[in-house]
Amino acid sequence: MMRAPFAVLLLAMMLPAQTADFGKAYSFDERKPRTRVEATIDRVLPSIVKVYGASGLATINAYATGIIVSERGHILTLDQIMVQKDRTRVVLYDGSVHDALVLPDEPKLGVRLLKIDPAEVESKLQPLWPPAAEAAAFRNGQFVVSIGNAFRLAEFSEKVSATFGVVVGRANTALRYRMADVKYDGDLILTDACNNPGHYGGGLFTLDGTWIGLNMRLLDSKETNTMLSAAIPTRDLLPYLDEHVLGKRHREEVVPKTPAWTGVVLFEQAGRQSPPAYVERVRPGSPAARLGLRPDDLLVRLDDYSVRSCVEFREVLARFAAGDKVKVTWKRGTRVLDGEMVLVEEPR
Amino acid sequence: MLLAAALAVVFVPQQDPDLAAVLASEARRTAVMAECAAAVCSVMAMDQPGGGSGVVFDANGFVLTNYHVIGEPDEDYELPPAPEPPADVLEQWRARPDGGGEEAAFIAKWQQQWREDNQPQGAAHYRHKKVGLPDGQLYEGVVLGIDPGSDLAVLRLLPKHEGQQWPCRGFGDSDQLLVGETVFAMGNPFLLATDFTPTVTFGIVSGTHRYQAGQGNRMLVYPDCIQVDAPVNPGNSGGPLFNEQGEIVGINGRISIGDRGRVNVGVGFAIASNQIQNFLGDLMAGRHAEHGTLDLSAWFMNSGAGAARKRGVFVQQMFKDSVAAAAGIGLGDEIIRFNDIEVRSANQLATLVGVLPAGTFVSLWHRPLQGEGVFGDERRVVVRLAKLDTGSSRDGAGGRLASRINRRLAARCLLPAGQQPDDLASPDTAQWSRIGPDGVRITSITDGIHMRLEIGDVVLVRTGTGTGHAQDADGVRDLTPDEHERLRREQACNPLLWSPRILMERLAQAELLGGAMVFGHRAFRLAVPGEGECETWLDGATGVGFAFRDPVRRARVECQVLPGRMLVVVDGKFEPGWSSVDHRFRPADEALFRRP
Repeated sequence: MMRAPFAVLLLAMMLPAQTADFGKAYSFDERKPRTRVEATIDRVLPSIVKVYGASGLATINAYATGIIVSERGHILTLDQIMVQKDRTRVVLYDGSVHDALVLPDEPKLGVRLLKIDPAEVESKLQPLWPPAAEAAAFRNGQFVVSIGNAFRLAEFSEKVSATFGVVVGRANTALRYRMADVKYDGDLILTDACNNPGHYGGGLFTLDGTWIGLNMRLLDSKETNTMLSAAIPTRDLLPYLDEHVLGKRHREEVVPKTPAWTGVVLFEQAGRQSPPAYVERVRPGSPAARLGLRPDDLLVRLDDYSVRSCVEFREVLARFAAGDKVKVTWKRGTRVLDGEMVLVEEPR
Repeated sequence: MLLAAALAVVFVPQQDPDLAAVLASEARRTAVMAECAAAVCSVMAMDQPGGGSGVVFDANGFVLTNYHVIGEPDEDYELPPAPEPPADVLEQWRARPDGGGEEAAFIAKWQQQWREDNQPQGAAHYRHKKVGLPDGQLYEGVVLGIDPGSDLAVLRLLPKHEGQQWPCRGFGDSDQLLVGETVFAMGNPFLLATDFTPTVTFGIVSGTHRYQAGQGNRMLVYPDCIQVDAPVNPGNSGGPLFNEQGEIVGINGRISIGDRGRVNVGVGFAIASNQIQNFLGDLMAGRHAEHGTLDLSAWFMNSGAGAARKRGVFVQQMFKDSVAAAAGIGLGDEIIRFNDIEVRSANQLATLVGVLPAGTFVSLWHRPLQGEGVFGDERRVVVRLAKLDTGSSRDGAGGRLASRINRRLAARCLLPAGQQPDDLASPDTAQWSRIGPDGVRITSITDGIHMRLEIGDVVLVRTGTGTGHAQDADGVRDLTPDEHERLRREQACNPLLWSPRILMERLAQAELLGGAMVFGHRAFRLAVPGEGECETWLDGATGVGFAFRDPVRRARVECQVLPGRMLVVVDGKFEPGWSSVDHRFRPADEALFRRP
């Protein structure tokens, strides 16, 4: 007698169960981030987009990465892909595909803005612009996360790749891309977080999520032929973005700079392209004389910049103005010496 | 003493709390790595240059590696001559009480048994591999199962002494990995370590659920892999990827390369551990693992704007005779969900299908295309995945099976760790009901060797070997031999009617036949000893299904069960509408088995 109602109850429980599905051996649901690296990546990913150009050439890929820099649909990318009017598409974090307008590029930095129609976007765009004030304050050895669509591994709503490393240095000389020298006015950030084709145009972030750089192409060191991952510092993008995103003509405060003078005359042999920076003479009473530099000393460093030739010495010196205090490192015989000098204006 | 204490106060520097945290985390990491290293091995074939890596995942010496590491099968494999019986076996035979008999005949019989136990069953075989472990020892590795579809192979180490156990690591949940999580790879890149101490490389997860299409002439597809920036180089192949806890979350097998040739550029791929475990039953049983396919290709479309916007995954190509077509899916249909998971990209659909073995039942929600841009309502179909034909399917001809000894060992490894049959004292009585598609309720009740089966109004009872009765509307009669056999087979292979004690006893002597997926659970298919075509399906110690040849229906009946859900397959065909009701253990009523 007790069995009948029990069976009915079981039948009632069974009916909804029957419509339940075939179970999951796997899940595409993600857990919450636990570590700082996980949280940083999770936070910045919605601002990273995949960019597809018209077509690729033998050495130029048809895909790259971009960063959303305004709620109005501005996207910053490296100007490496074959961007063509009407043929450039942007895939947002949610997997939606948008045709992009191609805005004027910035040939000096090699970057370009694209623009999508924000009305077409279902979710609110999360721009990384303006960058945090700390964007310029990265240091060597600082942990970084590099984000971009390496090898076009992610498509549509799949997440782009993230790599981890440290800032290994800054440089603007002795770099080349394939056969061409890379000319860059400022300093590029060098990192050991892996960068690969497709990763270009993605972002370099500190573990606080501060956007410090835009991933460049994989560069070669001219001296060692090794490949280097580099990024353009975010602060250097400011004038271009201000002009094209905010419509604000960036007026650089031109403070007239008095050229600096050390009082050193270098030994420049005629005919040699780039002789090392050996001191030939030191003007009496000059900053160099006060520091104790002598003929035949080899200058190797001014502040953070290495000096490998007479040409580089002049380039580095041009970064300073009269009145600046610089640290000088030089080689005398087998000894390495250093000291400080205050640069002055060249006496008439 | 005081002086020593004073000195200690002076000379022990005050430690910075940040530094202490870093040092503690480093100490944890090195400890985990040291433990993991003991299970990582170098796998070398004597007939080819180079080598790869592997990892011991079971203390009985089961090793996972890449399929591309084990090389080509050996066409003319022959079993080595049978050895002499061990001395203790001979002693025992000589000392047996009844005495007599030819010793030569006994030895011949023993050797015949040895050959039967050790003969691999199947067409192609591999020469034994040399497997080096960090203990400095070189072991022989027998190739058991292969999974050319996604580049995996399982080897078994041959022990150097009876009952040898190896350091091993268990599997972690690869679906829990998050981009940015720290992981480390181990293996023997460039065969650097001649003493087999593994190389460790460290990095983060760069991407999850990456689908990598077939590569090379053997079409090694990586349907669900983990992308890492930990350096992975030639020779790392087959080695493990560990999470911070030291659990195996993947097998490193492939890298993307840049302009500089076949070396690491920070983009390595590991086959996800959750996918590997779906095929472990087949691999440990010595099978050629078959991946499932819907036999269709889909693409992601995003066109139009506003109301006319068409965005989703649509069927692009399919075979007319494919399983998907048979289930009612057509060209141009939109695929919406796969096993309750929303399909967001074509890659994702390929991942979802590729991680499941052939023969798995899946459900697919689709919207049929009814005309230019017009779609019907969402509907669900149930599809049994077909076999994916890969370039290396020919290797599987003959359904390679490991020798009986290895299949028994594999079955024993499934015994839940630390449990003995004695610990699981519980009544041997059980009741289990299911409802057939025609609404007929089937109830099975056992009490030791007694078995009662109610199929609607018909009751079949077996009270002991050879006796029993049947009862229907016409009254009570004796069982026919077929009905008797039907009862015996169900009792023999339906694990839902076993007590844990029986389960453990059966496991101890069962042979592993392969794996299966039951409602997303990984099941191991075991042959019930002495029962012919009877299979018991277990997930750990939980019964999740059974299969046997039903002498009454004259068909192979397969039953896949989870609480509240059941799938019945008769001769390979799915019968919709079945459902299980209950399969808990209950004290049986003695009167149920009495003849009225």
